[in-house]
Amino acid sequence: MKIDLEHVCRLANLELTEEEKLPISLQMEKIVEWVSQLARLETGTEERYSPVDFSLRMEEDQVQPSLPQEEVLALAPEKEGDFIKVPKVLTGK
Amino acid sequence: MNLVQLNLKEAVELVRKGELLAEDLVRAYVKHIESLDNRIKAYLTYNFDRALERAREIDRKPSKGKLAGAVIAVKDNIVTKGLRTTCASRLLENFIPPYDATVVERLEAEDAIIIGKTNLDEFAMGSSTENSAFFPTRNPWDLERVPGGSSGGSAAAVAAYEAMAALGSDTGGSVRQPAAFCGVVGLKPTYGRVSRYGLVAFASSLDQIGPLTRSVEDSALLTMVISGFDRRDATSSSEPVPDYMAKLGERLESKKVGVLAASELKGIEEEVAANYFAVVDKLKELGFEVEEMSFPSWEYALPCYYIIAPSEASSNLARYDGVRYGLRVEANSLAEMYLKTRTVGFGSEVKRRILLGTFALSSGYYEAFYAKAARARQVITREFTAAFEKVDFILTPTTPEPAFKLGEIQDPISMYLQDYFTVSASLAGVPAISIPSGLSSEGLPLGLQVIGRPFMEDKLLNFVFLLEKKLEFKNNISEIIKYQRKEEE
Repeated sequence: MKIDLEHVCRLANLELTEEEKLPISLQMEKIVEWVSQLARLETGTEERYSPVDFSLRMEEDQVQPSLPQEEVLALAPEKEGDFIKVPKVLTGK
Repeated sequence: MNLVQLNLKEAVELVRKGELLAEDLVRAYVKHIESLDNRIKAYLTYNFDRALERAREIDRKPSKGKLAGAVIAVKDNIVTKGLRTTCASRLLENFIPPYDATVVERLEAEDAIIIGKTNLDEFAMGSSTENSAFFPTRNPWDLERVPGGSSGGSAAAVAAYEAMAALGSDTGGSVRQPAAFCGVVGLKPTYGRVSRYGLVAFASSLDQIGPLTRSVEDSALLTMVISGFDRRDATSSSEPVPDYMAKLGERLESKKVGVLAASELKGIEEEVAANYFAVVDKLKELGFEVEEMSFPSWEYALPCYYIIAPSEASSNLARYDGVRYGLRVEANSLAEMYLKTRTVGFGSEVKRRILLGTFALSSGYYEAFYAKAARARQVITREFTAAFEKVDFILTPTTPEPAFKLGEIQDPISMYLQDYFTVSASLAGVPAISIPSGLSSEGLPLGLQVIGRPFMEDKLLNFVFLLEKKLEFKNNISEIIKYQRKEEE
């Protein structure tokens, strides 16, 4: 099965390196073909997304301590004051 | 005797009675790891200083917890406060979590000691631990071979006596398959039994944390401590946790076991099938009612799994964008930073799975792939429900073959086939355990998988406790000591 790998890469926010491009594209085609055999299984059932049939549990709101702000900010690759800093969002293209 | 030879239950009993110091245990492990791990490479990060400090604190306590002095290794996709947690990925190479996973909190609350963080396939994606971004781990039974994966570091650490026991995570077989390859016991509990708060998410409808141990008893003890409701995991179950230890050795109420017919084992290594049928014969001798069963949907379980797990992974791994933590590759715009960070940070297998999942969820393909797989999952689940109306346990080999050599399997699909016997229980969310069942002609461990009913870990553990005694599997401590001597010479 032919896959538009460039399109899928854009959706996934991923780029393949030059060395990765050919092998991954061939492997992806083989894998997609392999998983396609699922079409042969008769599935007249509903879909199951989780092993548990749970309904969301309701609970009272409780004020609980969160992680200290400075510990979490310390993990950020770049920061300014109490903010995480990122490169320009709009590049004017 | 070297202290590392004590099993978890034995060691804990001695520490609790005050007949053995936790500090001496930790020192014995540090010495053993330092002499051996340069060859096995089970660990990504050692926690020796803090472990010794913890041991001394525990030795001073007048009343000690259920796991006092237990020296535990933790798979490096389970977060540990202040201790580097990498997921064996360049993306998280320097990530130091600001909190502990619930399982780590529970272990430490019972006075267990974390000795280090173990290697894995990057983000738990793989069956050999060769996908670690740092280095592969070796199988302690044969250093040319893989320990299995993705919890390969945890399995190798336990088999090489570099830890009393370890935690792993299992999404499609990642605890059970390495347990089989390394000759240890590996349990994947029922989905919801153990909180995943602090387990780095791979496929959220499948991921489950489980113990790797040298005995069934140790598995029961650890499972008891880590199980139970946790409000921080929305899928965690409030089913009460029975005393798994107390149930061991109880008379089995029922003796109905489902086994696979020879025709269902076509295509797997002959020795594995022969070992499996030898166990089945033993069960018959022991008076079990053995029923041959077939599971027509299992043929589709792998394709189903390899749509669902990558789909969920593609969503879960979207968070690694270089903004808040982990690797950031500098760029001129935000969009370019996302792209470059992910491109540099993820290894090939992770990229393959993200792309596969993104494809299966994308417009035009969702119905044929993801929705179809979700329906197949229901078919597989119903097959289990029907089987458990007739039998109490289902037996399969854990893997189609014993441990393979490093570099031997290059093709992704051939690697995925490793999960043939393990994925069905993951998709259905039922508990499954692998115990060592013998050795191949080359002296490699073989594993037996036993699958049980949801939340019946007590019965499952009790059953394999009996089997363990009858199978009389011998560990490889003499071999391990041989490596060590070579190293010292």
